Parts: sequence; C-alpha cells; structure tokens
Amino acid sequence: MKAVYINPFLNAAYNVIKDIAGAEATKGELSLDSSPIKGDEVNVVIGVTGDLTGQIIFCLTEKTALVLASKMLFTLATDTFDELAKSAIGELGNMIIGNAVTELAEKGFICDLTPPALFIGKNVTVSTAVSQFLVIPFQTNFGKLDINVALKETT
Amino acid sequence: MKAVKVDKLIPGMVLAQDVLIPSTGVTLLPSNAVLTLEMIRRITSFNISVVFIADPQKSEEEKTEEILAPAMAQAHENVVAAVRDIVTNPEDQLFEEQIIAGLVGELLEHVEMDASLFLNLTHLKTYDNYLFSHSVNVSILALLIGEQLNYSSEELNQLGVAALLHDIGMLKVPMEIWRKSGTLTPDEYQEIRNHPLYGEEILAAKNMSKEIRAVAAQHHERFDGSGYPNKLKSSEINYKARIVALADVYDACISERPYRERITPQEALRLIVADQELYDPQILKVFISTMAVYPIGSLVKLNTGEIGKVIKVRNKQPFRPVLQIYFDREEKLLDEPIRLDLSEDANHLLFIKDTLSPVQHKKALAEIGKNRNQ
Repeated sequence: MKAVYINPFLNAAYNVIKDIAGAEATKGELSLDSSPIKGDEVNVVIGVTGDLTGQIIFCLTEKTALVLASKMLFTLATDTFDELAKSAIGELGNMIIGNAVTELAEKGFICDLTPPALFIGKNVTVSTAVSQFLVIPFQTNFGKLDINVALKETT
Repeated sequence: MKAVKVDKLIPGMVLAQDVLIPSTGVTLLPSNAVLTLEMIRRITSFNISVVFIADPQKSEEEKTEEILAPAMAQAHENVVAAVRDIVTNPEDQLFEEQIIAGLVGELLEHVEMDASLFLNLTHLKTYDNYLFSHSVNVSILALLIGEQLNYSSEELNQLGVAALLHDIGMLKVPMEIWRKSGTLTPDEYQEIRNHPLYGEEILAAKNMSKEIRAVAAQHHERFDGSGYPNKLKSSEINYKARIVALADVYDACISERPYRERITPQEALRLIVADQELYDPQILKVFISTMAVYPIGSLVKLNTGEIGKVIKVRNKQPFRPVLQIYFDREEKLLDEPIRLDLSEDANHLLFIKDTLSPVQHKKALAEIGKNRNQ
C-alpha cells in the first residue's frame, strides 16, 4: 500500500471530523494487521473500485459515534444509536469519501466508491480483498476512531 | 441541446450525445446518461473540452408535481379561508367538530399524497391572514408528526382539529396587541399569555372534545415546566399539546412577524434544538427526522460548490434531500435549474457542505426570483 492513495482518506477523515466536531484529531501509531478486520461497536464499510480495489472501514465506539451524530444534528441529545443517529453516521461516511475521492482524482486515481454500509455490533468481522490492511488510529477528545485501509492498485 | 465546457458540468445534467475518448474513439459514456460526480471526473481525466447536454426533461415525479402543486395551493387557500370564516364567527352553525374534521381530512389527504409538496406551501403566507394560515400550517406539521407516530386516522383527525384551533384564543386578544411591533407593556404581555385560557373557554362553549380543549389550553406549556399558564411539565402536558407546541414554534420561526424577520428553516431547527429541554425528546426526534436536517426551502451548498434549494425530503433520509440546483460552482445563476436527488445511490459522493446564511439566503432568493420574472 502506498501513502499516495492512503493519505487522501486520512486527510478527508481529519478534515471532516474537524469541521463537524470542531475538534482536532491526533493520528496515532500506524500498524499492519491481517484480514479479517475485527470491528468495533459501529463500523462503516466503503468499497473501492476503479483504479484502486479494496475497502476502507471506519470503526468507532458507540459513544464516539453518538457524539459525532449529535454534532451533525445541531447537538441534539442522542443517547441511543437509533435511525436518526445511523443516518448521521452514514452521512459522515459520505462526507469523508466525497472529500477523499476529490483528492484521489487529483493524484490521478479515478475511483468509484460504494455508498457507506453501516454494521453495528462488537462481533463484526470484515474480510478484506487484500490479505494485509493498515490500521490508522485517530484520537479525539470525545473518543477513538480507527480507519482501516485495505487497498491495492487495480492491475 | 447545448455545448457545455467540462469544468461547467453539474451532476444531474443529461448527455445529449455519446462522449467518446478522443484518442481511441471508444464510447466513454452513452447519450442519455445522467451525469454523476464520478462520470464528470472521468470526462475531465480525458482530454475532452466540451460535451453536449440535453435540454432538461421532466421526470414523471416532476410532471406529477406540476399538476399537484396548483391543486394543493388551492386546497391550502380554501382551508385557510374556511377556518377564518368559521372561527371568526362563534355563532356560526358550522363551528362544530365534525365540520372542522372535514377540513382536516382535506389536509391529511394532501399530506399523504405528497407531504413535501404540501409543506412547500407553508412558506407562502400572507401577513394579513397570519393567524389562519399559521393554524393551517401547524395542523399540517402536526399531522406529519402524527403520521410518523403511527397514529390511527381517528387520532390524526383529532390532532389536526386541535392544531387548527390551538390559537383560537388569540381572537379574544385585541388585534393591535398581537400585531404590535414594539415592546409590549406588562398588561399587553399578560393579555397574550391569556390566549390559551381564552381558547379553552371558546372551545368548551362549543362542546369540543376534551383533547382538543387541552391542546388549546396547554400548547404554551413546556416540557421542562417553564411554559404558561400553569407551568405544567413532561407527562402533565397533554401529548397532542406537546406535538402542537413544537409545530407552533417551528412555523412561527419561519414566518415573517411584525417584530422580526423570518429566519431560515434550518435556523429554526437549530434554535429549537438549542432549547431542546422545552420539548418532548421523542417528539423532537421524530420532528427532526421528518423535517430533515436540511428542511424544505433551505438553500444549501454542495461539496462541489453548486447551490440549490431543498424541494423534497425523502422519508428516513434527513441528510439526502432532493435539490433544485440554481447556481453553478462559480455562483452564477443557471438558465434552467437542474433537479438533483441526493438520495440516489449515484449521487452519494455529493453532500451538503453548508447552508447559506440568512443574508446569503435572502440574496440568492432575490436573484432566483428576478430570473423567473424575466
């Protein structure tokens, strides 16, 4: 995996979280792991095709997801992960990939990204198209968010 | 058909001719394709300067809307007039629950047909008719909430009637008080605060059912106990009165009043959520998912820079409305607006980045209006 097509996703996630939550996210230590990805309580899976093939998976705790959802709903008190919160997190996924795809195109990668699919529950595992994936942990002042990148250049 | 430069392409435009890859002549995109962001990127990535775009064609949904809209506007106007005629004449034989329920039936029919289209009408109100158009709008909003709460048709009807009559006590308050643009004297203020009780009296004299009277009496009570006249709180407040309270505040916010300018629909939601402890949290949630994060009438900017107006809200998709795009990414007014449905999968890479500020909102609306009148 190359930084040139991973960075657009990182930058997009960083900027969108900053815009929505008004909070800086700090990037933690990157690590490699092998498929399948073991999810967190709330998982957003995005498929990538085109010049790149694979998946991007955002994993976050329910607590973090609820804070982000609330911020997207004018700070509506959100204590259960209901339909409204789900649609907010789905839209967060759309915003991140909408930003990422622009930067990818600027770097010369024309990609199709699937609409984000939401998987809820601690025991979610996602088998990735590539055997190894990159884990990028983000820490914010309201919780943790992992971005798992499993991408390769389409041959 | 018209030639459009590649950097002026907007998602939602329809190709009038095949787009060919210049070097090979292979078809990149067929004619009639509805452009998405990915397609535009793909066109841009080849050395193509101009593509041919078809003149906008109306979808079946749009054609239906064109037929429905004037009928709905007429119905809205009729109900407003009927409510005015009935309630301003307390001796009227027609001032009866059954008759008013008939008007609600008419509203409900249109809400069920196309709630978005009907909601668009709540933005058209004449100042003179404020009290009555407000009552009709509150009734429409309350019916929408009631539908989401799976109310039976009987319950819906009662809710609709209660909402239509919630402010009837205002008729006992001298007109010059509630139309006053300056600060109210303490006595005048007290008089306004009496309108729930006046309303209950009028409705009791008309033998309206208990629930309908309770809504008139309690629609200014607030969930946290800060309302009037009795400082009731949470479960002490009639459930339908809690629904009407929310609908009442929202419609008042988006209306022009003598003492302030109207605010944008999203700003109204923002204000309501900022004071969320005043409302039943469950009803508030239903209301936000129904009105959507970008309510009908909002002017919004996409991540790609185009500006459009929210014309339709799809159920369960509060972030993904249908837009009418009026301005291109250079904020230049388009000759013809383009309809763009963000709920379609093909458009998922587009998202709403911003809502226009009230100042920008007003300016944009003026520009759109000017263009239409030419």
